[in-house]
Amino acid sequence: MPEAEAAVGSRRELEKRRRRAEREARFGAWYPRWYWPSFAAPATIWIAFLFVLPFYVVLSVTFGTVDAIFRNPLPVYQFWWWSGSQFVDTAQRFYGSNAFYQPTLIRTLWYVAVASLLCLVIGYAVAYYVARYGGKRKALFLVLLIAPLWIMYLMRMYAWQSLLTSDGWINDLLMFLHVIGHPVNWLEGKPITVIIGLVYGYIPYMILPIYGQLDRIDKNLLEAGRDLGAGPVRTFVRVTLPLSKQAILAGMIIVTLPMFGDYYTNDLLSGSPKTSMLGNIIDSSVIQPGQGPLAGSLVVLLMVLLLIPMWYYLRSTKRAVEMG
Amino acid sequence: MQRGPRARMSRRDFLLRSAGTAIALPSMSAILAACSKPGTTSSGGGGGATPTGIPLARPDAPVTLPMVGEPIPSDTPIETNATLKIYNWSDYMWKKVLKEFEDKFHCTIEWTTFNNMSEALQKLSSGQVQSDVFFPTVDVLGKLVTAELLQPLNHDLVPNLPGNMWPDFQNPFYDQGWRYTVPYTIYTTGIGFRNDQVDPAEVADKQYSILWDPKYQGKVGFYDDYREALAMALLKNGITDTNTASQSDIDIAKQDLLKLVQDNNARITINGTYVGIPESNFYVHQAWSGDMIGAQWYMPKGESPNLLSYWYPEDGRGVVGNDTITVPSSAQNPRLAHEFLNFFLDNKYATQNFSWNGYQPPLNSMDPDTLIKDGYVPKSLPEAVVRASDFENGYWLLELDPSVDQTWLSAWDEVKAGA
Repeated sequence: MPEAEAAVGSRRELEKRRRRAEREARFGAWYPRWYWPSFAAPATIWIAFLFVLPFYVVLSVTFGTVDAIFRNPLPVYQFWWWSGSQFVDTAQRFYGSNAFYQPTLIRTLWYVAVASLLCLVIGYAVAYYVARYGGKRKALFLVLLIAPLWIMYLMRMYAWQSLLTSDGWINDLLMFLHVIGHPVNWLEGKPITVIIGLVYGYIPYMILPIYGQLDRIDKNLLEAGRDLGAGPVRTFVRVTLPLSKQAILAGMIIVTLPMFGDYYTNDLLSGSPKTSMLGNIIDSSVIQPGQGPLAGSLVVLLMVLLLIPMWYYLRSTKRAVEMG
Repeated sequence: MQRGPRARMSRRDFLLRSAGTAIALPSMSAILAACSKPGTTSSGGGGGATPTGIPLARPDAPVTLPMVGEPIPSDTPIETNATLKIYNWSDYMWKKVLKEFEDKFHCTIEWTTFNNMSEALQKLSSGQVQSDVFFPTVDVLGKLVTAELLQPLNHDLVPNLPGNMWPDFQNPFYDQGWRYTVPYTIYTTGIGFRNDQVDPAEVADKQYSILWDPKYQGKVGFYDDYREALAMALLKNGITDTNTASQSDIDIAKQDLLKLVQDNNARITINGTYVGIPESNFYVHQAWSGDMIGAQWYMPKGESPNLLSYWYPEDGRGVVGNDTITVPSSAQNPRLAHEFLNFFLDNKYATQNFSWNGYQPPLNSMDPDTLIKDGYVPKSLPEAVVRASDFENGYWLLELDPSVDQTWLSAWDEVKAGA
C-alpha cells in the first residue's frame, strides 16, 4: 500500500511539474495562477465599491420601504424581502391609462437626441480643425477648449442665465445682427434654451475623444485616398469618417449618458415643468417625504434605458477590436 | 513568441466572482441586521390617526405634545467658550445678529443649512447632523417629539416668550403650552407682483386667478412647494380646506396647476419672488409675505422698491404659517441654546433680524402700523405686513396623514412632470 501511495504522489508531482514547464514555455517565465488576474484587483475593487455596492443600495431603496414616522427611505438589504410594488407603480406612470411620465420620457429622448447630434456636428468640426489645421497652436486650442471646465458647471449655467435675460448680451447681439427684431425671452421655459445649455455643457467631452482619434490618423492614408482619385469630400467620407467612428461612438456615449440624468441645466435655464426631463423628476422625488422608493425606481428604469446605448457601444468596440 | 496572461480569468469567472463579492457584502450587513425586515410601509387611514400616535394638530383641535424627558434645570450654568450648532434654512438669519450673540455669550456659532424640511428631518433623525438649535415647521412637531428628537423647554430660561409675544400667540394650537417650541417668524402666502406691469386693482379683482391670466404668459410662477402650490389652487377654486383629504379636491387643484403650466407657461421656482420679480423675470408670482419684503434688497440699481406689490385676501382668508425654534434632545449646549431662543425673542435683536430677512416675528414691540413708517417695509407693500387678525381667519398647512400626504405628492409629481 505505501508503495502504491508513493506512486500516486509521484505521478501528481510529475503532472504538476509538467504543467509548470508548459506555462513557463508559454509565457517565458513561471507565474502563479493568481498573478495576472491580480492586475484587475484595483479596478475590481473600484467597481465593487463605487458602482456595484452603491447600486445595490439603490436597489435596496427601490425595493425597500419608508419609515413610518419621517417617511425616510429605509433600504431593505435582504433581497428576499424586496417588494416590487413601488417599482410597478412607477413603471405604470410610463404606460397605461395614467402614464403622466410618458411625455417626460419622450421629451428627454428628444432633447438628448438633438443636443447630442448638435454636439457631434459642432464638436466634430472643431476637433477636425484643431487636429488638421491646428499646427503649432494645437496645444493652445486644446487649453481653450478645456478652459470652461475649470469653472464649475453650475457657475457656467448662472453665467448663461445672465447672458440670456431679455436685456442680456445674446439678445443684444442677435438684435445688432438683425437676426431678431425684438428680445427673445429665452428663460421662460423654452426647449431650445435647455438644448443649448446641454450642448454647451457637454460639448468639450465630445471634442476631446474625436480630436484624439483624428490626430492619430495616419496622413499617408489620406494621401493614398487622394492618389486613388478621391476628392476632399470623398476622402473624408471614405477614410476619415470610418477611422473616427469609434471616437464618435465614445463621444456620443460620454455626452449622452450624463445628459439623461441632467437636471440642473433645466432647473437653471427653464424652471418650467413643460421642459422637465427624467433627471428633474428624480431630483424632485428625492427631496419629498416618502418618495425614496419612487426616486430609486426611476433611477433603475433610467439605467435600463441607458443599457441600450451602452450595449451598442460595447458591441461596436468589441467588433472594432476583433477587426484589428 | 506571444507573451501575456493566456491563463487569465475568463470573463464569466470575473463576472461570477465580482457578483459574488457584491452580493456577499450587503448580505453580511443583512446578517448583522439580525435577519429582520426593517421598518414597515407607512400606515393608511384617516380620521386624525397618525403613525406617531399624536393627533393631528388643528386650530379647532389643539394638541398638547407629550413630555419626553424633563427640561434642563433652571440653575444649569451657561456653557462658556462653546460652539453652538445651529441647523436652519439658508439665508434666514442675519450674520450680524449672530455675531452679536457670539460676542454676548463668548461662544462660536456653527451654521449648517438645509434646503427643505424633508432633508432636515432625514439628516437629524439619522444622526448625520447634531445641533443645539433647530428650526422646524409646525407640521413636523409631532414626528420630532415621537422620535424623541426634541427636548422640552424650560420657560424660566426663556423669559421673553410670554413677555414679548402677541397675546394671540401665547398658546398655539400645535404646541399647547409652548412645551417644545418658540415662534421664530410668521408669514402669509399671497401674490407678489410688479405694479409697473400689473395693475394692483386688477390683482385685487382677479385674486389668485391673476396667475392664470394669459396677458402674463411666461411671466408667472409659483413655489416649488407641493403644499403651498396645491393649496393656492384649492383656494382659487373656493376650497378652503387646505389640508383636505378629498381626492376630488386635490384633482381639481392639480388640473388647475397643470393648466397654469400648459397654457400660461408658469415656472416653478423657490427664488422667483424675491429675486425674479425685482429682476422682471416674473411679473406675478406666488409669494410669501417675507419674500416680498426681502425682495426690496434685490431691486436693480435705479429702480424703486415701491414697484413691488403684494396681494393677500382682504378678509384674511389665505394661507398663514409660522416657523419655530427648538432645542434638539441631542444638544450639547442646551443652556446656551435656551439663551439663543430668548435672544431671538428680544425686541431689539428680532427687529434687527427682520430688517435683514423680511420675515416678521410675532412680537408686541413690532407694530405693524409703524413698520412702513420706520422704513422696514416699502410703502407699496402694506399687505405684506402680517397682523394678528390674519391668524384668526387664515388657513394653515398642517401635518397630514401619510396616505393623504401621498395623494398630495402624487398630484404634485404630475404637475412637476408637466404632463
